[in-house]
Amino acid sequence: MPSYKPLILSALILSVTASFPMAASCLSAPDTIILNQGGKLFQPFEFNHAKHIQTIKECADCHHHTTGTLPPNPKCAKCHANSSPTSVVSCKGCHSATPFSPETLSEKSNAKERYHMDKMGLKGAMHQSCISCHQKLSAGPTGCQECHERSAAGKALYYTGKVADKSSKKHH
Amino acid sequence: MKKFIKQGLQTVDSPYQEDGEKRSLMNKLLLGLSPSEYLLQAFRNPFNWILGLIFVIGIPILLGRFVFGLAWATSGSNDYPWGLFLGFGLFAMVPLSSSGFQLGTACEIFGRHDLEPIERLALLNGLLGYFFMVVSFGPAAVLFLVAWHVSTYLSVQILEVSTAFFEWIGFPAGKRGVRRITLGLTVSGIILSTLHQGALGALFTYAPGKVHPLWYSSSFQWLHFFVSSLPGGLCMVIAVSTIAAKTMNWRGDGRFHANLDKITVSLAKGACMGLATYITIKLIAIAHDNKWSYLDSGWGQWFMLEIILGFMLPLVLMTYGVNTRKMAIVRLGAFATVFGVVLNRVNTAIITFNWKLPHREIPPWREVLISITIFAIYIVVYRFILYRLPILYRWRAEEAPEVVTETEAVRSGAPIGHASTAPIASYSNMTKLD
Amino acid sequence: MKRRNFLKACVIGGATITLGKTNKGWAAGSFEGYPDAMGVLVDTTRCIGCRSCEAACNKEQQLAPPAESFEDKSVFQEERRPDSTHYTVVNEFEKKEPQGPVYRKVQCNHCNEPACLTSCFVNAYTKTKEGAVIYNSKVCVGCRNCMIACPFNVPGYSYESVTNPVVKKCILCYDTRLKVGKPPACVEICPQEALTFGHRADLVKLAHERIRMNPESYYDHVYGEKELGGTSWLYLSRTSFDKIGFDTTMGNEPIISNVKEFLGMVPMVLSIWPALFSGIHLLSKGKHDEQGEHHDTTQEDR
Repeated sequence: MPSYKPLILSALILSVTASFPMAASCLSAPDTIILNQGGKLFQPFEFNHAKHIQTIKECADCHHHTTGTLPPNPKCAKCHANSSPTSVVSCKGCHSATPFSPETLSEKSNAKERYHMDKMGLKGAMHQSCISCHQKLSAGPTGCQECHERSAAGKALYYTGKVADKSSKKHH
Repeated sequence: MKKFIKQGLQTVDSPYQEDGEKRSLMNKLLLGLSPSEYLLQAFRNPFNWILGLIFVIGIPILLGRFVFGLAWATSGSNDYPWGLFLGFGLFAMVPLSSSGFQLGTACEIFGRHDLEPIERLALLNGLLGYFFMVVSFGPAAVLFLVAWHVSTYLSVQILEVSTAFFEWIGFPAGKRGVRRITLGLTVSGIILSTLHQGALGALFTYAPGKVHPLWYSSSFQWLHFFVSSLPGGLCMVIAVSTIAAKTMNWRGDGRFHANLDKITVSLAKGACMGLATYITIKLIAIAHDNKWSYLDSGWGQWFMLEIILGFMLPLVLMTYGVNTRKMAIVRLGAFATVFGVVLNRVNTAIITFNWKLPHREIPPWREVLISITIFAIYIVVYRFILYRLPILYRWRAEEAPEVVTETEAVRSGAPIGHASTAPIASYSNMTKLD
Repeated sequence: MKRRNFLKACVIGGATITLGKTNKGWAAGSFEGYPDAMGVLVDTTRCIGCRSCEAACNKEQQLAPPAESFEDKSVFQEERRPDSTHYTVVNEFEKKEPQGPVYRKVQCNHCNEPACLTSCFVNAYTKTKEGAVIYNSKVCVGCRNCMIACPFNVPGYSYESVTNPVVKKCILCYDTRLKVGKPPACVEICPQEALTFGHRADLVKLAHERIRMNPESYYDHVYGEKELGGTSWLYLSRTSFDKIGFDTTMGNEPIISNVKEFLGMVPMVLSIWPALFSGIHLLSKGKHDEQGEHHDTTQEDR
């Protein structure tokens, strides 16, 4: 007679893992992500995703409700206490890289049912999310160049290193 | 000039010299003197030394403004875009130059022919003030209503003063042509003056928060500017005629000197009415917007200084002087009025402007020097014209354009050819030949 | 001759009335902005004073190189204002507050009823339907009336130009961006998305919604919603606006409301004065002959 034990065991394991969707999805999360890939003023840089997963543990701290877990902010939890995970979890899935293009703006005004009208663009969302946490914990980069170095174009734009000529008098 | 006249020089007041020869243009320009005599009298005049000093320093800086630009010549301030040139040259000189339309109106519209001896001086005063305002500031002075009104008004004034020029240059047809349209010119002058004097005030309604509330009235700003321009212009004429009578006594003829006091009194009366009206409407405006609390501040004290010294005191002085016929006091009041009007404009445009900002703008030395230089040029041109054109005296021409005069001269049997010998009977029984 | 003069004056008066009527001062009613006008919401609680907006503007508008780097924070020691080579500046306020300073971006507010446009007599300014207030340097005569008029002290003047000083200010990147469907350079570069670009009407709602959702973070007022007839640049702040460099005494009436009274007088004077003064002249005591010459009646009465 065949043994049903392996079948029951795998079913048990599966059901255990299935009841921890976070664990399941965390298995598919990348360890490092290259951010600012299209950056002109600042260089692309490596983001240590694995380290953040280990430190923060709670995906919803950064990914809001998209991982299907309870978001920490009570204002969000009012609606998203039992939300299921979304198909795309990465930031750029919801936060547009061109938040102010005519297409994005018309899509926003046409979406009458949408609640999140104040959704930030990708750049703003990342900066606000990352830096605010680093500031709160007093750990992690907060300055512009601590994450991504200026490119040559960026240095030119900001006139990096230029010092005011003390002899010139300023007009109001 | 006084020395030469004592030595027997005949002042240029007719187309003919003593010996009957027609005066050349050069002769008229040099006041009947030879070139060396002319230069001599110029050198002897101490006022010319002061003018010379101003020009030696000032003209290069004035030219520098055109070579190096406004940033070099002015404070180049974005918070105070209108500095000394405009604050003094435009806003202060324009009300003082309102004498043109006022005397023109008085004589031509209201028929006050007793004011005629001063009419031309008032017209010239008006013309020169506007001319220097427009010419000096080029692109910076052209503003909508002010722009096309002032250029039109300038043409009107040029035409009105041209009668004196045509007399002097010997072109009677020109004079007759202008006299025919004088009524139209005068009425146009009144319209244009009312509007642009008011418009200069209305310019500040664009910046209601920037002018201190005691100097600003949302409803009445233009009226304040228009009404205060009236005593300003009249008193400017008194002031200029006083200076002219003292410094170029020889230039005024008998009619001018004999009537000057009487005319000064008439002008002062008009100015008093203007001052009283202005003070009243100023107080009404403060009450209208309930601004009394502003008086209790540094600005409030400055305001009271301006209105007391510049408007109330002159009113008292001139009233007293007119009633007791104390001409010196009347004239003092007139000068004080001129000071008051200038102070009011400079306060509105520069000093209390941007009163909410922490810093006050002090004009840099170049800007001050340029303003002084332009004012000096204005004085030189004024004097040049007064020395020559029949403004302070009557041109004794043989054609004698007044119809009445010619008829009377013929009737009295006097020879027409020699105007210098024939007593010119004129419509005014106040004429006295010197 | 007199009648002719009188009629002449009336014709002149009539002609000038017609001219006076084309004065654009008549156009104002209460204008709430073009319906599709864009705007920018500035959330000063998000601004970190990085001055990227200044850098982006400098490049986009091809302005003169700055005296110091845009990374230099020492500029915050004094309060700056826009001028001919800086169309936008950021100032620092509330420097000693425990929550940290507040940074406020200053630039042309692109008012619905701009004072600059109202005061410009050569029509150099235009309020476009996209909401931007742009100007034509070629037409500008340099009178600086707009600088006097602007309640926010925004337009700068290129005093350093010898032959052609003109007024210069932010144009919401109209030529290079708005017209081709891109947001202004400052908006695009802001790392904190302190600047939100969109239709002005939507931004007003958005601003109030932000206040509603986070009442502890915001002062309950959207600056620019109603001030001076409404502006296209709206501001949010954590504290009252006078503490971060805003003038809160200006009221909600556009500047043109102050000027209309006088402008209405103009055609009145032009119509009434000719008849009034010609009439007075007719009534005045002196007799007048064909040439308008003077006669002294006292002499003739004798």
